[in-house]
Amino acid sequence: MSEPIIRSKKTQREINGIPTEVVCTEFSNYIFVVLTQFGKIGTLVSVTPDSRSNDISTPPFSTKVLLGKDEPMTHVCAKNLAMFVSQEAGNRSVLLGLALKDSSIETIKEMKEVIKSCQVW
Amino acid sequence: MNGADFRGISVHNFSEKILEQVVHFHVMKLDGGFFLWVGSAPVLSNLAVSLNSKYDSMPLSTLVMGDPSETTASSLAQRLGNLNPFYHFFHSFMSPKKTKLELFLLFLSVSFNYHQIFLWKHSSYTLNNPFSICLQDKLHNSSVTHYST
Repeated sequence: MSEPIIRSKKTQREINGIPTEVVCTEFSNYIFVVLTQFGKIGTLVSVTPDSRSNDISTPPFSTKVLLGKDEPMTHVCAKNLAMFVSQEAGNRSVLLGLALKDSSIETIKEMKEVIKSCQVW
Repeated sequence: MNGADFRGISVHNFSEKILEQVVHFHVMKLDGGFFLWVGSAPVLSNLAVSLNSKYDSMPLSTLVMGDPSETTASSLAQRLGNLNPFYHFFHSFMSPKKTKLELFLLFLSVSFNYHQIFLWKHSSYTLNNPFSICLQDKLHNSSVTHYST
């Protein structure tokens, strides 16, 4: 049996008492991360590193809400959650599906660890 | 498969040879919907989403990412959205340029109303288990075409 060409890892954890699911899927041009507490993909945000690289500091990222409510908080959460993924995955863009009941700072921090545990890059 | 019945996201991968080309499928089953990726190379492009609305009998579909001149993803998403009133679909179709596969899938989406697609109705799908794509033309009640392993 051959390996599927699309690699994915998923996990389920309770974060702040809320069941949370994370699915990370690897494509050659994107890392697709679904982070949901609703069982649905939710708001789709694309997190892309800007091509101009700056050796001194981390390269800037642009976030774009592709589907769903476009709020400042969405961009903040998306950047926080996806930046490290993009950098570790060779500066690949990240497509993030975000459906959270709780988006507090502590929860976001914990969610980064959960995403790390589903590393496919 | 909504709400209380939902047992968590499940992921299914399989491949099939269609018209002498190996096509890969990646399905993520969600609560009340699916994410479906179809392609021959692991590239994510042309992402369309469809969902049912009370304003139209046909599901609404839109391209969220990709080339708007490539209508395959949106129209397929719309067709798949028609299967079940409670489902919405994300569909990403990577079309190899001008191959028989693209024409085949375009033909499917344009010519037929999907009656049932069994890609994900098998409860524990692995690459070794059979799957079938069952198509039935509602308009002509014509014969069913099976593609099965």
